[in-house]
Amino acid sequence: MDWLFLAEVLLAGLGAGSLYALAGVAFVLIYKATRVINLAIGEILMLGGYVFFGAAAAWHLPAWIALPVAIVAGALVGAVVERLLIRPMLGESPISVFMVTIGLGSILAGAVQVIWGADPLRLPEFMPNTPIFIGDAYLAPKVAYGFVAAMLIIVAFALALRFTRSGVALQATAADQGAAYSVGINVSRVFSLSWIVACAIAAGAGVLVGAIGGISPTMGIFGLSVLVVVIVGGLDSMLGALVGGLLIGIVEAFSGTFLGGEYKFLITFSVLIVVLMLRPYGLFGRHEIERL
Amino acid sequence: MTRKLTRRDVLAAGAAMGSGLAIGIRPLAAQGADIVLGGSIPLTGVFAFAGVGIHNGIQDYLKIVNDAGGVGGRKIKYVAEDTGYKVDASVAAFNKITGQEKVSLYYGDSTGFSKTINPELERRGTILMAGASFATELNDPKKYPLQFMAGPDYSEMFGILLRYCAREQSGAKLDFVYSDTEFGRDPIAPSEALAKTLGLNIVEKIVTPPGSVDVSTEVLKLRRANPDYTIFHGYVLAPIPEFMTQAKQMGLRSKFMGTFWSSDNSTVQRMGDVAEGYMGVMPYRYYYDADGNSPMLEKIRQMRPEYQSTAYLQGFTTALLMCEAVKRTLAAGKELTGVNMKAGLNSIKDFDTGGIFGVPISIPGNSVSVGRIYAFDSKSKQMRPASDWIRLGS
Repeated sequence: MDWLFLAEVLLAGLGAGSLYALAGVAFVLIYKATRVINLAIGEILMLGGYVFFGAAAAWHLPAWIALPVAIVAGALVGAVVERLLIRPMLGESPISVFMVTIGLGSILAGAVQVIWGADPLRLPEFMPNTPIFIGDAYLAPKVAYGFVAAMLIIVAFALALRFTRSGVALQATAADQGAAYSVGINVSRVFSLSWIVACAIAAGAGVLVGAIGGISPTMGIFGLSVLVVVIVGGLDSMLGALVGGLLIGIVEAFSGTFLGGEYKFLITFSVLIVVLMLRPYGLFGRHEIERL
Repeated sequence: MTRKLTRRDVLAAGAAMGSGLAIGIRPLAAQGADIVLGGSIPLTGVFAFAGVGIHNGIQDYLKIVNDAGGVGGRKIKYVAEDTGYKVDASVAAFNKITGQEKVSLYYGDSTGFSKTINPELERRGTILMAGASFATELNDPKKYPLQFMAGPDYSEMFGILLRYCAREQSGAKLDFVYSDTEFGRDPIAPSEALAKTLGLNIVEKIVTPPGSVDVSTEVLKLRRANPDYTIFHGYVLAPIPEFMTQAKQMGLRSKFMGTFWSSDNSTVQRMGDVAEGYMGVMPYRYYYDADGNSPMLEKIRQMRPEYQSTAYLQGFTTALLMCEAVKRTLAAGKELTGVNMKAGLNSIKDFDTGGIFGVPISIPGNSVSVGRIYAFDSKSKQMRPASDWIRLGS
């Protein structure tokens, strides 16, 4: 048994999983606060990558400015989408809102293609590219820095949810909207805030994903893997998104290595089915989740 | 003095026109009628990066032909619909265009469409079709008698790459890296067999799921295999740059190669610093290639002063070969049926494409099995010739 090789595969899986987890957190945040399943999360992530590209490559802004520009763009999209598309749908059937997010994804993919064209692109290099070794185990630098960034964001976000007024308001709204209203929480504002923050996180994740795999108008397919992650972890659980992301990342890494890339999805979706059979509400989700 | 038209006058005029048509005016009109080239073109969707170039290439070649008086005095009319690179939309576009026009030539956007529409092509018997697919399966004149491709099929592309590897390094170790798609898997099995006969050693095959972003684990497998050559297939850009970046960081000395759709000059440029030395197989000269005699490339450069992709050249060349097939069919005094046009196409022997292909070509079957290896030179930012033109079967 080559333990060094196993360690490298594990590290690679954790790196990929951290990106799933980060995008998963954005997904869960919206669901937790508003009960909307946002299938456009992959396209918002893609938009973040493209805005970074536009700022860094076209406007020649340094990465440390282009990154916040991408995150702010994501936040703005979140605010506009919530106010113009989602809020008017409050009270409509979940399927209708679900379909709105599918349409939103198509619009964003089309808009990106109109603005930046259909060619696949690479983001300008902005991370150090010196190889990283943990002991003797190699870890791709982009994956390593992506992992660190994702973990920092997730931890900061978890702390904000626990210790800030907005975070507590969001948790209260998630627990019981009526009770939140009755104690004076501005639920509409919480809805807006959740979309703004979630889309900002997704846009940031898009920059990290784009730095590794490049960007293209079809990059939104990443959202499909994120959907698996949050269903496995539990649609309304931040911890679930984290654990689910890392778990799926590791499962994909080992199945890809030892069975072949053609089995990655087969194994991943098998894990999804097994988890749903044993815990229909996900590993860390709450019982009362209404599934579509 | 004017006379009011009566109903009788109108009926008489109508009868005269009708009888005129009946005694031969219609055939005369048909002789001079436009020849229609229909197209299911992916102007949006995952293949739009190529579809836009293909669309422009077809239009430009037809402009050259029509400005020169057409083929046998008949203009070629191009009617295209966007498909989004979806087979059902491509079929719908085919039905719409063929329902509205008398189509003789057709450009299809995918392997799926080419396979799906083949029975209908044979049933109609009036259309010669080519397209964006270089699928090995389509290179079978018995199964696809009315189709062709304007270059080598994917297995032939691998054949050209493998011959190059065998010439450069006897017994070289190879790794095939391909996407888990019909496109990606296409040349793998026949190329494994060919590699054995050439004395090459395939040490690893790495499959990546479609749309995969992080390829760290796959690069770990590549490091273990430590091949002399790594051949990518089934991709356009991602994940090739990340593969090469991580492999170079690990100290691998493998040379990296790709097939047609990942070897456009602008695509390779986007790979960044790691692109240096990346090799691709290409049936056409690149847009900027001024070596040798290439009047057709010169025309293209006059029409479009900015760089045109290899997808553009593919569309341009496909239209060129279609028009040549029509020209030969009309010159032989034959009707424009699919079978006759295919026979016209197959009569092409040692034909000069105006320098687009670097050597005279022949099309005895469904493909043009010729190509050349190019390698990226980061100083000039261009794919430059790394081999002579390689013809398979010679």
